[in-house]
Amino acid sequence: MAETEVRTCKKFCLEYYNLNTCSNRKNCLYPHKPQHEITAVGFVQGEDYVLGQLLEMKNQRPCYFYQMGRCKYQDRCRFLHDNDNKSANEPSTSQCNHIEDVNFAQVPNSENKAASDMELSSVETDIHSVEEEEPSCSSNSSQDTKTSYEQDSEEGACASPPLVIINNRNWVDAPEFIPRSKPQKSYAQVLHSEINMDSNIIRKMCPYASRDGICLNLGQCNNLHGELCDMCERFVLHPYDEEERKKHRQECLKNHEKNMELSFAIQRSKDKTCGVCFEVIMEKANSEQRFGILPNCNHCFCLACIRKWRQAHQFENKIIRACPECRVTSDFVCPSMYWVDTKEEKEKLIDDYKKALSNKACKYFKKGLGKCPFGNKCFYMHADKDGRIIDVGPPQRQRRNRYADTDIDVLQVMLWDFLDERDFPWQTLADDLEDLVSFFTESDESDWSDYELFFD
Amino acid sequence: MANIAAQRIKREFKEVIKSEEVAKCAIKLELVDNNYTELKGEIAGPPDTPYEGGNFVLEIKVPETYPFNPPKVRFITKIWHPNISSVTGAICLDILKDQWAAAMTLRTVLLSLQALLSAAEPDDPQDAVVARQYKENLDMFKLTARHWTNAYAGGPSVNSECDDKIKRLVDMGIEEHQARVALSSYNWDLERATEQLFS
Repeated sequence: MAETEVRTCKKFCLEYYNLNTCSNRKNCLYPHKPQHEITAVGFVQGEDYVLGQLLEMKNQRPCYFYQMGRCKYQDRCRFLHDNDNKSANEPSTSQCNHIEDVNFAQVPNSENKAASDMELSSVETDIHSVEEEEPSCSSNSSQDTKTSYEQDSEEGACASPPLVIINNRNWVDAPEFIPRSKPQKSYAQVLHSEINMDSNIIRKMCPYASRDGICLNLGQCNNLHGELCDMCERFVLHPYDEEERKKHRQECLKNHEKNMELSFAIQRSKDKTCGVCFEVIMEKANSEQRFGILPNCNHCFCLACIRKWRQAHQFENKIIRACPECRVTSDFVCPSMYWVDTKEEKEKLIDDYKKALSNKACKYFKKGLGKCPFGNKCFYMHADKDGRIIDVGPPQRQRRNRYADTDIDVLQVMLWDFLDERDFPWQTLADDLEDLVSFFTESDESDWSDYELFFD
Repeated sequence: MANIAAQRIKREFKEVIKSEEVAKCAIKLELVDNNYTELKGEIAGPPDTPYEGGNFVLEIKVPETYPFNPPKVRFITKIWHPNISSVTGAICLDILKDQWAAAMTLRTVLLSLQALLSAAEPDDPQDAVVARQYKENLDMFKLTARHWTNAYAGGPSVNSECDDKIKRLVDMGIEEHQARVALSSYNWDLERATEQLFS
């Protein structure tokens, strides 16, 4: 079960999942779904999403407002509008001994609205400790699911970060809703023993207070109301958990640094002009707002122009591989969103670029079926069908060996030219602002004609 | 015309107009047509050269692939220079051929041509006759170049000896420019020039 779930899982915003609000708002990478709409399967350490499945069926939790007789959503309400449940809302709760009869309408709403999710999981766990005959049901131990996923990922040679499976909260399948389970504890018993024990930990930060600074339920709100964080200006600092406070401050600081870096990058890039087309690069059309960084000199070009220059066929390679301004030769062009000033920034950018390319399969190597003329000097990945990285040795020499001394030189010259050409159709995905990697799509045009021409 | 070429020439044109070389009358640039494909350049002969005081007009044609290809430039004003054809005005300059770089501009091209006037490259000639004279008889070359500058580019130095010789050939029914070319090619030896013209 865990395997299928992990495969079909989607990513949802973790912050929204936890707090019902998200600091990124509309810019968040992941969809915002509240806890009761997702069956969470796990989260990945260090990532801000939760893996889970969207509950497609109508939520089985009865609608509180409907039971009060005033649900404004009527048929569109996500919660159950069920008259039976309404009639079951009687003070007979304490006498109920069978879990299948328990429904959530019996939980007094004023008491544990926010904690109800936790209740569910705790109920499940408890039931399973009692019910030994069905160990593989919903709340499988996290250890089991984790290992099964890892095995799966090893087979698929998929390099995902470690997945931590959280308590399976697929409560639709929980024994409460399956008539054949025969638990010995009542819902109320289970509920109280668990909740009272961990009430301090379970209490969450109030999503309304942390988002807007105002909680309408101030007097009765069961959640914690955070203190004002002076960096993000939200009421999110945990009132007493020092660890949490520190964590939040560090996050804020990190965010702040990131924003500052971006601002500086924009600042130093915004009036840079391209040495070829003479236009201000940041003022060009959206898809052309990219810098082509030459590793060996500090002249500024837009990616399109410098690549076009390096593909000019009427000049010698020595000329086109040189910077059009200072004639210093560079082996390749590194695409970048922003201009880089310092040596460190540049090194990092080029490193990232090479790393990104090395994750992409080489078009000539064809997973072992083809032959890459660039050998182990190729920036792209040489891996066979099973994903094993293969060292194909140094690039092959030219077939005719008459000019032995110049061969390697010429070969290297051509190598980087191909690199440039292959990367050219970057514009197709250029709207993807953050992802350096994504615009290295393969060209449909075959470069082999050029290659043959050269090697013959 | 490709958009990038027109856009760039527009920018360059503005740049040249504002440049200090224009202020000093060292270079000039004019539009010939409105779509920035053809321009007329002008450079002043550099000081301390036989070309001093002359103004040399250039024809500049901008290819569609500019700036990835160099502009096509030739002298309209007749000039006596080893790297410029005395017949067609074609220029032998590496940056206008295989050493072009996309970052070069019309302004740098004009300045390079001006530099070419002060520093000829007789070992990479465009006009073999001029180059030979330059290498074998530099004084004669300078005299000839100065005379050409006076005759075609409005240069100040008048050489009456040369003018006389040309006049004598013109009186014989030879066209003036033809006479000048013949005399220049034979180091102003009237006899040999006449021989060549009438053979």
